[in-house]
Amino acid sequence: MAFSITSDCKGCQACLRNCPTQAINGERHEVHEIDQGRCIECGACGRVCPYHAVAAPDGAIAERIRRSDWLRPVIDQRTCVSCGLCITICPVSCLDYDEPGSRVPPEGYPYLKVPLACVGCGFCEVVCPVGAIELVARSEG
Amino acid sequence: MTAYMGKVLWVDLSTGDFTEETIPEELYKKYLSGIGLAAHLLFERIPAGADPMGPENILGFVSGLLTGTPSLFSGRWMAVGKSPLTGTWGDANCGGYFSLSIKKCGYDGIFFSGAADQPVYLFIGPGGPELRDAADLWGLDTMATETILRERHGEKRMPGVACIGEAGEKQSLIAGISHDYGRMAARSGLGAVMGSKNLKALVLTGAQPVRLADPARMRELGKRPGKLARFRIPLPAWAMSTLGKVLRNPLLSLRMDGVLYLSILRKWGTVGLNQTSVEWGDAPIKNWAGTYQDFPSVVSDKVSPAVVSNWEAQKYHCLACPLGCGGTMKPNGEIPVSHKPEYETTLAFSGMLLNDDWDSIMLINDLLNRAGMDSISAGGTVAAVMEWVEKGLLSRADVDGLDLGWGNTEEIVALVRKMIAREGIGDLLADGVRQARRRLRIEDRTAEVTAGGSELAMHDPRLDPGFGLHAGVEPTPGRHTTGAFVYYDMYRLWTRIPGAPRPPLLYNKKVSYEPSAESAKKSVLMSCFTNFYNGLGICMFGALLGADRLPLFEWTNAATGWDFSSAAYLETGRRIQTLRQMFNIKQGVRPVEIRVNARALGMPPMKRGPHKALQVDLAVLRENYWSEIGWDHESGVPKAETLRGLGLSALVEGEGA
Repeated sequence: MAFSITSDCKGCQACLRNCPTQAINGERHEVHEIDQGRCIECGACGRVCPYHAVAAPDGAIAERIRRSDWLRPVIDQRTCVSCGLCITICPVSCLDYDEPGSRVPPEGYPYLKVPLACVGCGFCEVVCPVGAIELVARSEG
Repeated sequence: MTAYMGKVLWVDLSTGDFTEETIPEELYKKYLSGIGLAAHLLFERIPAGADPMGPENILGFVSGLLTGTPSLFSGRWMAVGKSPLTGTWGDANCGGYFSLSIKKCGYDGIFFSGAADQPVYLFIGPGGPELRDAADLWGLDTMATETILRERHGEKRMPGVACIGEAGEKQSLIAGISHDYGRMAARSGLGAVMGSKNLKALVLTGAQPVRLADPARMRELGKRPGKLARFRIPLPAWAMSTLGKVLRNPLLSLRMDGVLYLSILRKWGTVGLNQTSVEWGDAPIKNWAGTYQDFPSVVSDKVSPAVVSNWEAQKYHCLACPLGCGGTMKPNGEIPVSHKPEYETTLAFSGMLLNDDWDSIMLINDLLNRAGMDSISAGGTVAAVMEWVEKGLLSRADVDGLDLGWGNTEEIVALVRKMIAREGIGDLLADGVRQARRRLRIEDRTAEVTAGGSELAMHDPRLDPGFGLHAGVEPTPGRHTTGAFVYYDMYRLWTRIPGAPRPPLLYNKKVSYEPSAESAKKSVLMSCFTNFYNGLGICMFGALLGADRLPLFEWTNAATGWDFSSAAYLETGRRIQTLRQMFNIKQGVRPVEIRVNARALGMPPMKRGPHKALQVDLAVLRENYWSEIGWDHESGVPKAETLRGLGLSALVEGEGA
């Protein structure tokens, strides 16, 4: 299952520009299509669509959300075990290890290195094996 | 379809064709993923008698069933194929994050058949798989290759890269495959297979998600092992040598506990046991003929955990690992930033050669990582050459004028460089010690410390006969990671598997390690468990935490939505082990002919040191193992009723489909 684009699409290409896997095709001002094989269900297309023309896998029309209101990962370093799953799973490579500085042992912890690249997919939260990541609105984070 | 991706990619390098093959869920239930799925596919598709270096051999890169799920220690991947070093089933296990790179491309495995006319590399990007010209990369070391490929393909996201260096290109039979600047899938000589196919690298840039049946349950299960793996026992570096002296007690042994072991790994990495193992008698000294007296603690202090720590800049975590036993090292002279040498590399080039120069070990580690050469096999080969020189079987002229006396650091480094470049004597040594002995026409086999042609790792069967048994009985000979009685203590299988023997807290080593029905049961359980967690992509160090502490069975059920018992999963491990043995039988391997070097088994017995007078009765241990697992106790060939019981009836002669 994957996201799909309805006939309400006006071809503004906002979804195409924001898709992290280049799964969306279409000419400007024409109805776009999502390649089902490439879609990773991150939902970025639905969050940016101004025409309510993106349907989630369950058929529900995705709600447009202002980018400043997208959820962002917050990492609890007291719980985190530095395993790097979140960094590696991220489809837009927006997480990275920080510098260990004077920590003992000298190890880095993940942090949101490129906030603007984050699409709020929540893959990092789901994959964290110890529950150290929570997605929160920017105003709470 | 949860946890697994449901398909594999086949690449025919001769024609350039790609084929996606859908794998039905029944096969995952029967073989899991990783080594199990690979065993099923390679058994079927590598023809009998295939030349390991020919186009008919298949080289596979497989992920693990739990990779990319909310589980700890689940980041291992494996290279698989028929080994050119041993002629048997070959596999090489590696960390880093490549395992998830494979799954993010939508596959559980990528398999290469045929051979390319010119050097190529596989690139999987948004447009799917393609073979690209690698002429500009051929001749570059693994670090340079990976740097170029990351820059070339890392615009959107960091690609996963696996590649060969000079050793693989020159088809050294002890060549491995490098990932993430020197994490090595080192064993079985599979880097040579990659070189024989003119395949320089894989570059994977997918982003497919791994679907899960019950991620919340998985996360809940991970909290306790996450804490246990980071538990810190305050052990000072100076105590590690003393610990080895205490453990040397010839009679009594404490049941080992993985929490202590992981605490050591967390603090120092595998090198934390450098001195402990020397003093205890686990690490071979002077090509397996010496003892700690030849490499005393005042000398081994120079490669102590404290010395290594001084050079460590940052901990290195493989994917999903809470430990971080790896490390990134500070630049040291001509050596730029590099991976921390592992225990195996350190001991293979220190105690084995009586070399106490830490800088040289860092240098050799870097040279071998760049060349993509197995440091265990390289160290074992150098040690044998030094012994042959000492015995007068080789003259100084035979070794290109090098003064290969024990501990001659500069000459050791020079010999390693020659092996990598296949220059002079190095050309004769670059395929491991067995080939070297044959080429140098040396009749005496005592210095050729291998099992089935694979150099033994730095763990002595005379200390723990399990190392000898598993080196000789496993379908992949010569491994130190598949079983040992000390591992059995830590796996704690008795907590989860009905009928599994429970060792007492304090036991008599001599009695416990003698061949018996109970020791055979332990060994078979370890083989089954190892195959099970290698199907999941789990790191051995995580498994050593204990089956009651690392919830592998529950994680597997929660990730997949299946509902199998722990005993059923161990039976899956037995199925994989038996199928790998059948791979060898199909390839014409006679298990009774896989020999473990006599010296490593205490023949002749040591006259001093912790192994004084100790001998390992491998023949009896092996017969007991074969009986217990359901293989013919004389030939090691799986019995027909065993194959039928494991759902492998098609492999019974006369019953094939």
